[in-house]
Amino acid sequence: MNHFEFTYHPPRSLGRWLLAACGVGVLAWVAGLLTAPDRAWASLMMVSFWLVSMGLTGSLFVGLMYACGAGWAVAFRRVPEAMSAALPAGAIGVLAVLLFHPEMYPWAAGHEELKGFHAFWLNRPFFLFRAVAYFAIWLTFSALLNRNSRRQDEDGAMLHSRRNINLSVVYMFVFALTYWLASVDWIMSLEPEWVSTIFGIYNFSGMFVAGLAAIILLLLWLKQSAPMRDFVNQEHLHDLGKLLFAFSTFWMYIFFSQYMLIWYANMTEESVYYILRQQGVLGILFIANVVLNWGVPFLVLLSIPAKRSPVVLTSMAALILVGRWLDLYLMILPPVTHGKVTLPWMEMGMMLGAMALFVMAFLAGFRRAPQTPVRDPLLAQSLSYHN
Amino acid sequence: MSQFQLLGIFDDESGMVGAIKAARQQRLRIVEVYTPYAVHGLDRVLGLKRSRLSLVCVAAGGLGAVLKMWFEIWTAAIDWPVDVGGKPWNSLPAFVPITFEVMVLFAGLATVGAFFMVSRLRPGKKPDLIHPRVTNDRFALLIQETDAAFDVGRVRGLLQSHGAVEVSERLVEEVPA
Repeated sequence: MNHFEFTYHPPRSLGRWLLAACGVGVLAWVAGLLTAPDRAWASLMMVSFWLVSMGLTGSLFVGLMYACGAGWAVAFRRVPEAMSAALPAGAIGVLAVLLFHPEMYPWAAGHEELKGFHAFWLNRPFFLFRAVAYFAIWLTFSALLNRNSRRQDEDGAMLHSRRNINLSVVYMFVFALTYWLASVDWIMSLEPEWVSTIFGIYNFSGMFVAGLAAIILLLLWLKQSAPMRDFVNQEHLHDLGKLLFAFSTFWMYIFFSQYMLIWYANMTEESVYYILRQQGVLGILFIANVVLNWGVPFLVLLSIPAKRSPVVLTSMAALILVGRWLDLYLMILPPVTHGKVTLPWMEMGMMLGAMALFVMAFLAGFRRAPQTPVRDPLLAQSLSYHN
Repeated sequence: MSQFQLLGIFDDESGMVGAIKAARQQRLRIVEVYTPYAVHGLDRVLGLKRSRLSLVCVAAGGLGAVLKMWFEIWTAAIDWPVDVGGKPWNSLPAFVPITFEVMVLFAGLATVGAFFMVSRLRPGKKPDLIHPRVTNDRFALLIQETDAAFDVGRVRGLLQSHGAVEVSERLVEEVPA
């Protein structure tokens, strides 16, 4: 199949709706800049980090499957592959905040005098250099993984699989290091005196469960609207449901690990993080965060039939995406607004725009290649997969 | 009264699965299937009901969690209250890790125990193999005579047509319950 025609054309109205949603996001940002610029920049960081995380989940999922030799997910690998197309859009947003609004970070605005290692790590040139380095690394790895996978469509050579396996093993380590540092740089340093060594893993767990939710939603949509109809069956959904359930619980585990140690030790410089987020309305959101990301998904997805049902999976995936928004909101906004909560119209509007942008980037990536890796040696195993 | 059974031995799983499908279509009574490894999808082919083992797991896990939570509240807040860092006596976050561990312990042990009980396994039990190679590379399908209409020749033919390498007849004394 050298000349593959991609036959799926999404309905034209979809493109219009996506553009409109993007417009809402831009409008929300502009209106935010005029009314509450601090919040608008923080919100831009929030949605850009969300886009980066979505793109990274795509390449990480692909890498994970290669690294552990998993065949079951090959049939729909093009979906996570295409998700990594969201990376550049997120990178632009993150870099825009770091370049044009560094005052968001107290250490950059000169509000706080840093000493020792903090002063070495948190200085602007090094900070910017690191951000560029993370993006360069992520974009390189995801581009190489996708390129090898697509070259295999043409010649079916085993060599491409082997190359991707080696690449993926390296990527697992590189990803862990860079994503941990990136979340520390861009989010944790909003409160530079506060330190949590588990912060990177916490962000990874949130990123991966939200990314899985996106994979499930995209797959169910593409299965219904044709391109993936013949490639995805209930067994694949069941396994994705298991992963969603498992990583939702993993998120809770990491959340609690971070919370309990700080709660137990009750040291001023540490507990300030939670005190800020447990006052007033934020306290309600704090509990809603746990309920949305773990409480409801855990109870609902516990049984086997639930994990196999498209309706249940769709609603839980959507719930987790809302939960991820709330999680990011609680991480990024309170230090910027000093705990004052107003109706988050700006944060919601911009997230709507980011989601539309994500779908647009995904579709652009998805349409660049056959919807399934036609000559991957593991494709047959994936198509006849049984739980 | 003794019962007449036919044992078909297969050397690959697809032949056995085909024979099971055909036997179920002809409403033959399948007593048991023996395989050297877990064959995916076999439970669906056999039309087995879902195992109730997961219910045991949930119930035991819940019981463990409740018991441990009660015990921690009783020790830390009722029987001998200890002030830890000025925190309230009933400090739930501190109880969570141990409650979780005990829940997992109860659930795990109860599930394994229930499995052993249901399948009548115990340490030191003598192996009782229906065919010596069934733990190695052979698949066994055991079909039992149900009524006078049971045609041995036809069932034998059915097994062989799906690639049975060996078909034997057995008479089994009905075990008093």
